[in-house]
Amino acid sequence: MKITPGGVVAAEWTKFSSLRSTWITTGVSAFLLIAFGMIASASFSGNGMSAVDLALGGSTLAALAVGVLGVLLGAGEYTTGMIRSTLAAVPRRLPVLWSKSLVAGLAAFVVMTIGAFVAFALGGMVLNSAIAGVSLGDDGVLRALFGAGLYLGLVAVLGVALGILVRSSAGAIAILAGGLLILPGLVPLLPNAISDAISPYLPSSAGSAVMSLTHSDGSLGPWAGLAVFAGYVVVTLGAAAYRLKKTDA
Amino acid sequence: MIEVREVTKRYGTKTVVDKLSFTAKPGQVTGFLGPNGAGKSTTMRMIVGLDAPTSGDVLVNGHSYVQSAAPLQEMGVLLEAKAVHPGRSAVSHLLAMARTNGIPRSRVDEVIGLAGLSSVAHKRVGAFSLGMGQRLGIAAALLGDPAVIMLDEPVNGLDPEGVLWVRNLLAGLAAEGRTVMLSSHLMSEVSLIADHLVIVGRGRLLADTTVAGLATAEGVRVLSGDPANLRNVLGGPGVTITSGGPEELFVAGRTAREIGMAAAHYGIPLFELTPKTASLEEAFMDLTRDAVEYEAAR
Ligand SMILES: Nc1ncnc2c1ncn2[C@@H]1O[C@H](COP(=O)(O)OP(=O)(O)OP(=O)(O)O)[C@@H](O)[C@H]1O
Ligand SMILES: [Mg+2]
Repeated sequence: MKITPGGVVAAEWTKFSSLRSTWITTGVSAFLLIAFGMIASASFSGNGMSAVDLALGGSTLAALAVGVLGVLLGAGEYTTGMIRSTLAAVPRRLPVLWSKSLVAGLAAFVVMTIGAFVAFALGGMVLNSAIAGVSLGDDGVLRALFGAGLYLGLVAVLGVALGILVRSSAGAIAILAGGLLILPGLVPLLPNAISDAISPYLPSSAGSAVMSLTHSDGSLGPWAGLAVFAGYVVVTLGAAAYRLKKTDA
Repeated sequence: MIEVREVTKRYGTKTVVDKLSFTAKPGQVTGFLGPNGAGKSTTMRMIVGLDAPTSGDVLVNGHSYVQSAAPLQEMGVLLEAKAVHPGRSAVSHLLAMARTNGIPRSRVDEVIGLAGLSSVAHKRVGAFSLGMGQRLGIAAALLGDPAVIMLDEPVNGLDPEGVLWVRNLLAGLAAEGRTVMLSSHLMSEVSLIADHLVIVGRGRLLADTTVAGLATAEGVRVLSGDPANLRNVLGGPGVTITSGGPEELFVAGRTAREIGMAAAHYGIPLFELTPKTASLEEAFMDLTRDAVEYEAAR
């Protein structure tokens, strides 16, 4: 009997899998990804979007949902009082944050990668006739689909970190939605020179670069974008770790 | 063994625990008593490492609980507020806790049986009654078969059968040589379970004693024609004399016999000499009277 990293991860998986709300939120995330991908694939007939971009058209909403999943896992510890049991069992504290992030991130990565492939397959079946179809073997397609899983997995980790950092579901969801949805809408209101300079580095644009088949000017490359997004996640995790370790539970 | 050494806890400017020191030893039940807001729960949270003391040290089995390699085996705790996700079943909650410390699944079923929760083991904890929630908390505290058991108001919400169960359980655990500490604000309840009493008020230690020791902390009521002189005659180390009325004194630290002899020797008239055996509850009330934080208006 002693604390082991594997034991703490197993415990976090037990916590994850024993709540109905986590399954529902995970299911909703995958559903949004697939459903909106199909809608976009069927209805879009303009220029500048490939079949893969359309199939992953649900990724913005899916990111929000999967981020909420992370927030519920993180902030839920505090809103329910469970954190007291958790930290009494793991008084060093930080292993809880790493394990929770790992479980949430991995679960979201697996489910959302599958979701991306399903969205691609179903989107291809209903694809608007004005758009050229692509196949899995085409350049960048696999990267985009796995990239969607990686990005959404990281968003789940970001949600966990925000939840542990602010300790309130409403607060963490507000920050998450602000960062992923509202910020990209506000930046274009700035003077062009500034907005063009910072836009690619916004969390959502950096993170979605890896899912995009068509690399537009001024956006980051797929892996550079994902790295920038991972940077945001790491910084948030660091802040969460600091607060978790240093303050009264 | 739990050692609390000169621990102070401040929230902002409010000092909630004030240079508190005491030791809960193995093989006995330590009752941790004090009125509402005395700082009992805060002290217990510091012992388990949830809150950090502003100053002072807390040791569990000789070292800091936070550094423990197998914390649940070291100490099991039940804290005041519910510490369970309401959406989870009792089994899942206990299983998650067990896994962190590498405790086998069989032990989860064992403590569920022990706490009498077998019939509701798979129900959502959110639907539990107060008493069932307490039983789950106690089951969680026993999970690691710990050497130290610390429970914050364990009988809160339990029915008479449950109270009896807790009493026997704790007595049994102490008899096995474990350290048992429980808090309460009811003397009547603790005196039945505890050997050792730690009494706090406004975060300060008021008494570190035994149940027998507190019960004999009695006094003598004296009515005398010359209370001022009697006061001088009886004074000395370990004696406290308080005045109740113009002719009334309350003397602690001298027996009725000693008072009568002294009065006769100095020719001080006595009208009444009544040994007063304070009940435990009264002794407790006397001790904590000045330290009551939230008192009903009279
Ligand atoms: N996190 C906190 N921030 C500020 N004040 C606090 C905090 N926790 C406790 N207090 C205050 O500390 C005091 C002691 O509280 P505590 O819960 O330790 O008392 P207690 O002895 O357990 O009381 P009870 O018998 O009612 O359970 C109270 O006045 C409470 O308001
Ligand atoms: Mg309390």
